[in-house]
Parts: sequence; structure tokens; C-alpha cells
Amino acid sequence: MRLTTRMSFATLFGLALVLALAPGCASRKRVTPEANVPPPETESTAPAPPEKEEAQPPVETSTERLALQDAFFDFDDYSLRQDAKSALEKDGKYLEKNSRTRIVIEGHCDERGSVEYNLALGEKRARAAKDYLVSYGIPTSRLTTISYGKERPFETGHDEDAWAKNRRAHVVSK
Amino acid sequence: MPSSSSKRGRLLWLYAATTLLALLSSAIFHSAPSRAQTEVKLDTKASGTMKTPLMLARFRADGPVGSLPSQGRAIARKDFELSGVFNVGDVEPLEGKPVADPTLTGTVRVEGKVEQGQSASFFQFRGQAIDVGTGEIALDRTYPFTDASLRETMHRFVDDVLEALTGERGVAETKIAYVQQNGREKEIWMMDYDGENPRQVTHDRSLSLSPTWAPWGTEIAFTTFKRGNPDLYLFDLTRGASYPFSTRPGLNTAPCYSPDGKWIALTLSRDGNSEVYLVSRDAQSAKRLTRNTVIDTSPSFSPTGREIVFTSNRTGSPQVFVMDAEGLNQRLLTIEGSYNDSPQWSPKGDKITYAARHDGIFDVIVMDANGNNPIQITSNAGHNENPHWSADGRKIVFSSSREGKRQIFVMNADGSDVVRLTQGSESFNPSWGPRPKSRLTVRGEASGGKGPG
Repeated sequence: MRLTTRMSFATLFGLALVLALAPGCASRKRVTPEANVPPPETESTAPAPPEKEEAQPPVETSTERLALQDAFFDFDDYSLRQDAKSALEKDGKYLEKNSRTRIVIEGHCDERGSVEYNLALGEKRARAAKDYLVSYGIPTSRLTTISYGKERPFETGHDEDAWAKNRRAHVVSK
Repeated sequence: MPSSSSKRGRLLWLYAATTLLALLSSAIFHSAPSRAQTEVKLDTKASGTMKTPLMLARFRADGPVGSLPSQGRAIARKDFELSGVFNVGDVEPLEGKPVADPTLTGTVRVEGKVEQGQSASFFQFRGQAIDVGTGEIALDRTYPFTDASLRETMHRFVDDVLEALTGERGVAETKIAYVQQNGREKEIWMMDYDGENPRQVTHDRSLSLSPTWAPWGTEIAFTTFKRGNPDLYLFDLTRGASYPFSTRPGLNTAPCYSPDGKWIALTLSRDGNSEVYLVSRDAQSAKRLTRNTVIDTSPSFSPTGREIVFTSNRTGSPQVFVMDAEGLNQRLLTIEGSYNDSPQWSPKGDKITYAARHDGIFDVIVMDANGNNPIQITSNAGHNENPHWSADGRKIVFSSSREGKRQIFVMNADGSDVVRLTQGSESFNPSWGPRPKSRLTVRGEASGGKGPG
């Protein structure tokens, strides 16, 4: 039992790596069934990755520090960027090592747009992060989600810096 | 009623004639704006260019009534101005009976008198509306009141005048619900339609959002996080208490009552994704209306209850869609812009308003109910969002950041005459209530509206 789950972790992780290394592959796509969706609107004019620096998780140090990390998103988007996947993989590792830890994934949005749409968008972000952790091998029973929409911002500013920090799936242990 | 209909008809005709004249002159003197094309409609919609002149007389006093005449007149004056229908001027009261003055055809004169009633704190207000062109009295009504009910008495009189002159009551007796933020807490508040008497409805010290009125006017549905999850609660204004309506796992958000009050359309995410549902008001049945892997939210019923307009990002970004109330025949309505949200159907059914994001700015749009002729009615004034019609369709309430913090504003349905209603703490998510159904209901609401504590 234990061995097989380990193996499936390894396979999934390998698959994730392959997907990550294939540029412009399925990893950047929206979770919509429609294929010809225009690329998500980003506020920066830079057309291509790498993503905005503010949204990058801290660079990993040699003494691999394991702590829960948040996944960040583009404007009006809930697809997982590469940096979001890396963050969630670290969360996955953490949850493997701390097998009794249960987490809540909070979906958050920047201040732009309606209360109602952002609650739905935050829900999508939280679910996207949860789905990724489930496919990584974390049991659903340890993961719950909630959306706060744009109602509990981390930064109160009204610029792209603040917005980028507020568009996130915030991972907290219960 | 039938005896006054010919009088009303004549006044309506006069009103139509003056509005047509005003429209023609504006078309001639200004280089006809493109929006005029959709406004050549001789109805009583509020507009900046088509107003009926109204001469408001100084209110007279009879007996020891103190400053009640001037106080009452100030309330009525603001009501007439906010109606969007009148250009108000000040005149002295009439001496003797009104006489026809054909040189002032289309002008209305309003007279008022406050009298001492049978005992100390009881009074009477007698109000008259006169068609100056013919000298005919369109309305002559007496209202008993106490000094505590002066404000609502004036509101009722002004709505009566509007009904007598145009066939359509105003909304001076209505309330607006909204959200006010204090620190990290967001509570439901309500105020009179003119911004007076703001009072806190919920005291949950949590996040309470998206208030919407039941058609009968004594209940507000809203989303609250007070138990941790975004649940849908109903606040009973007659009792000053709320109770849970939908507490399914995930979102229970964006409520809207059906016009008959039997259903609440809302967003649930219990299927793993936000979908529009109908849940019966007795909570006995639920119907899922949308079915896909994208965001569907913010439903708003047509006034017939047969169709629902809503927001979906199935084309890649939020857009306004419409469907039958059974969820069939879902189709895209908005033909312009990459980001359109918060649709609301007008009370007459002919228009839909929504908020559009363009060049990073949100503005209020009004379009035909079939998606044609989208007209931007706010501009160059911060973000303008969450538009919501008044019950007569003449006005739109919305939130705006034009003065910094988000505040609640009202404007005529063509974007003219913008007036701020709130000040201080951040206020947003406005929802305009229905007209009161009966006097009894109004009393219940007033006492319950003060809330606990």
C-alpha cells in the first residue's frame, strides 16, 4: 500500500517535471474545455514568462527549507503558473513528511472586479491548488478549500505590486 | 381613479410634448450625441436633457407648527430633484385659485401647507400639484403626520405627485442596502434612497456581502462568513434577526430573488465549481441551471421571471450571458469589451446594466435587453461598479472610487445628475429595494430596520 503510493508520487512528480520542461505545453492552458481560449490578460506588458518577480517564491537555499508556500496567479486567471506548481510541490513534500498535517487552501484575489466574481475566482484558485496537491498524492481528506475573493487582501495597496501578492492560493495548516 | 385618467392623460401628453421639444432643441443646438438615438422615447425616464419645470411654492403654516413647513419643503425639494424628472424652481405660494397660464404649458406648480392637528404633536400636510398651463389640479391630498414622520410623509407626497403627473410612482419611499467596511469587518447596512438614516443591519463582526432585497421588501438575502464558510443568510427586517438559508460546502453567493419571491437564484460550488442554482424560498428544492467547468455567477432575473442574466467566463473572460429560468438556451449577450460583469435587468425589462472593465477602468454600461446598443454612462471618474436599478427604472445606484474610497452614488439612468449618498467608511455592493407594499409593511420595516442593539 505504502510502496504503491510512493511510486505513484514518483511517477506524478516525473510527469509534472516533463510537463514543466516542455515549453508552451498543457501547463499554461486554462482548465476550460474550449481549446482556443485567448491567453490570460496580464497586467505587465511583458508578453512571455518569466513571470513578475514579485510573484516568484523565494529561491531555494541549499539546506532545503520545507515550509508551506503559497501559489500565485495572473489577473483573472486560475491556471497554475510554473512558480505556483513549484510552490505546491514543496507543499506536497512538506505534507508527505508531516503526514498528520491538514491544510486549508484559501483562494484570494486582487481588488479589481466584483465581490461575487472574485469569490468564484478565488474558489477556482483554491481548487486548482488542491487538485494539484491531490494529483501529487496528498489525500483529499487532508485538504480543504475556502474562497475569500478580494475581501481579505494581504497588501492594501492599489498597484500591480500589491495585486500580484493578493492573487494567491494561501496554504495554511489547520 | 377612472375620473382622473383623462386629466392624467392630458398631463402625460404635455409632458411628452415638452420632452420632445427639449430633445429636439438639444439635438439642434448640440451636435446630436449618438446616445440620443436610443432615447427618442416619450416615456418618463429620467434624463438630464428632458426635465419638466416644477415651481415649488414656499410651504404655508397654519397654527403653531414651528419650522415644519420649511423642513418639509427641503425634503420635498430634494426628492423632486432626485427624481430626475423635474427642474425645480422656488416661488411664493399662490393667492387664490389657480388660473390657466398657456404661456407656461408643461410646467407644474406644487403647493403645500402644514396645519396643527387635533393635539400637540399631530399635524396635517396638504399638498397640491397643479398643471400651470391649464390651471387644473392634478393632485390634492391631505396627510396626517407627527413630527417623527415628516420625512416619510414628504417622500410619500412626492411619489404621489410623480404618479399623478406621469402614471409612474417615484422611489422616494424606497431603501438601499449596501456593505460598509470597518477595519477587517464588512457588515450589511441600509439607508433611505436619498442617503438619509444610514443604519447597520448585521452585527456579525465578520464578512457580510452581496445584500439583495426580497420583492416584498422586508427581507434581505446576503452572504456571510460568520460561521467560516461563505453561507447565504436571510435577514428578516421586521424581527431584526437573520437565519441560515443555504450553507452548502463552498460558495453560497450572489443571491437574487425571482420576481414572485418563490425562488432565490444563487451561486453554489458544491459540485467543485461555481454554478448558478435556483433554490426555492422554502428551501425544499434546488435546481442546477449551469453545467460546465468555468465560473458562472451573479444571476439576475428578468421582471417576468422567465429569463436570467448572469456572468460567465466560458469565453475566457467574464461576459454577460442570458438563459431561460430553466437553464436552457444559454447565450452570450455582450457584444463589446473583454470584461463584463454584475449584470442586472431593468424593472421594465427593456434594459440591462452591468460593469465593464476597459483600459483597466470599470464603468457602468446600459444596453438593450437583447445585448444591442451598449452605452457607457459613467466616465473619467475612478472605478464605477455594481450598478443596480431603482424600482421605477429612472435611476441607477452604483459604487464609485471617484473620490478615493469606494462610496455609493446614484444617477439618472442616462448617467446624468450623479449624487453621492454615503461618506466616511468604505461602502459598496449597493442594492436598491422595492417600493413598500403597504403602510403596515413600512412600519414593520422601520422598527425592524434599527436592528438589535
